[in-house]
Amino acid sequence: MTDAPGWLDRFVDSLPERGWFQFLSRYVVVPYWAWRDPKPKLPGGPRPAAQPGENLQCMMNLIMPLKDPSPVGRAKAALAIAQNVDAIFDGLDNVGTVHTARFLLLDGNLCMISVYDGDFSNYIRDFIVTIGSVFDEIMDLVVGGEELKPTAQNVDKFIAWVHAHDLFQAPDFPTDLFTLQDEAKGVGPGGPPHELRSLPRALILQLHANPNISLGGGYRAYPGFSAAQVRAKFGVGW
Amino acid sequence: MPEPDIADTLVAFLNADGIPGKRPVHAWGIGASGVFVPSPVAGSFCIADHFQEKLPEGYPKKPQVVSVTVRFSNGSGSRQNDGAAGPHDGWSDVRGMATRFHLGDGSATDLIAMSLPEFFTPTPETFLDFARDALPRPFRRETPWQKLRDMLHLTLPLPDPYPGQVSRPDDGAMDYADRNRSAQLAVFQAASIGAPVSYVRATYHAVHTFFVIAPDGTRRGVRFIWQPIAGALNIDLRDPAQQDKVTRPYLQQELRDRLAKGPARFSLMMMIGETGDDFDDSTRPWPPHRVRVMMGTLTLDTVIDCEHLSFNPLLLTRGIEPSGDPILAVREWAYQKSSQVRGGVPCPFSQR
Repeated sequence: MTDAPGWLDRFVDSLPERGWFQFLSRYVVVPYWAWRDPKPKLPGGPRPAAQPGENLQCMMNLIMPLKDPSPVGRAKAALAIAQNVDAIFDGLDNVGTVHTARFLLLDGNLCMISVYDGDFSNYIRDFIVTIGSVFDEIMDLVVGGEELKPTAQNVDKFIAWVHAHDLFQAPDFPTDLFTLQDEAKGVGPGGPPHELRSLPRALILQLHANPNISLGGGYRAYPGFSAAQVRAKFGVGW
Repeated sequence: MPEPDIADTLVAFLNADGIPGKRPVHAWGIGASGVFVPSPVAGSFCIADHFQEKLPEGYPKKPQVVSVTVRFSNGSGSRQNDGAAGPHDGWSDVRGMATRFHLGDGSATDLIAMSLPEFFTPTPETFLDFARDALPRPFRRETPWQKLRDMLHLTLPLPDPYPGQVSRPDDGAMDYADRNRSAQLAVFQAASIGAPVSYVRATYHAVHTFFVIAPDGTRRGVRFIWQPIAGALNIDLRDPAQQDKVTRPYLQQELRDRLAKGPARFSLMMMIGETGDDFDDSTRPWPPHRVRVMMGTLTLDTVIDCEHLSFNPLLLTRGIEPSGDPILAVREWAYQKSSQVRGGVPCPFSQR
């Protein structure tokens, strides 16, 4: 049988691409659902897991808003990093659990993107011990940073701040978002399943609460191996 | 032993609308032959013959090349039961890749995989419930007002029917998933899986856990994945040049044309599970952060007829053992029963 779409079908199908409908969605539909079915902001960083592989090559996506996002303010941030390159490299080698780390200037944010092994709090703690002075300089430049100085004497407070500014990592399997949202609301795993067709709404409302997120746990060329194992394999000495 | 009973029930149910002599699911398929060459490291993870780069004393001293037979298939292409018989190559659907490795001693071992990374239910009993709920139901295009409602509710839109499509399993599968959390991931991903441009441009997952035995006796829980070396690629029905694929069977001819020009290759990747991973539940894929081992390369070069061949996911060989996954266990019996019903080449287990 033929079930060809009529003109009204085609018009409705085209709505998501029309500017006025996108405006309506952005300023009316999404805010309405965010009011009716609010999602808590989900915490950043990797989630606790018993499996060793989940505790290796963990990602940190630290987004630090600059007090002065103008070109001059961003230049100050670039200078703060550039003047401390030796200290940063020394610190990374001393921490020993870091695969990669880099700084980005992204719009009005200074970002630190790193891949590390082991527990998040220990990672930050090790960093503060080794390059606390660099972070003190960075804290001068970012919103809310002054209260954390000197970072070496405010370690737990600094860890909490970093955790709050680390991006939420969306689950590798999309339907796990329901579980994370339930957990954040204190709803246990025994609750009734969510309607599957509501998954796009769950994601949209989560993006309303967490505008910036990491999409999944990322790709790894050699998953399941620590930086120490890789160095040992290549025989590079530490 | 409960498996034969539930397997009989499953096969009888799935065959209810089938055609005698044809598979009840994955009915449309095409065969190909080629070789599998194990990687240099495969033998250090598994003692199975086809993973040995060189065979033991008495065999030729050269890199081993294992003959393989592969059957690619469409998960739900209809032969008669929805009024629109055909393989429906261009419809969004799960594809299958069943591989038989012909071993040096004349025996064989199978690896059965599909383009969906997980299964729908954790047990045979729940799968029977799922299959009953997911029977294709008659459907029509959503009205414009229903679509508008979906948009305003920020919910997943129901796909429009393909030309000639009058029934689909999605509605029942969605209903089941709304009541059963374990089915949600597979149903969600199956609903949006799309159609590959070629059978050899899809990734295939052997969703169950197997245990592989290393030369030192280490026993590892693993899952296998066939990755196309040409890369995974779906058709894009927004492209006018590809829109005819939704009504025209193309996958079998595409494979014939492709292999006439040159071989197609897959990498066999093996994911190693960790303590804490679920080895017996194929509804839960493992995170992509597990150690991966490249076990070998499959090269297909010839289209063959293997429609009467019966594969079985538990046709294993020394060095590979099944996990306790109850779906894997029942598939042994279900495949065997299905083979008997359609008169396929007797399943290797039929001598039991």
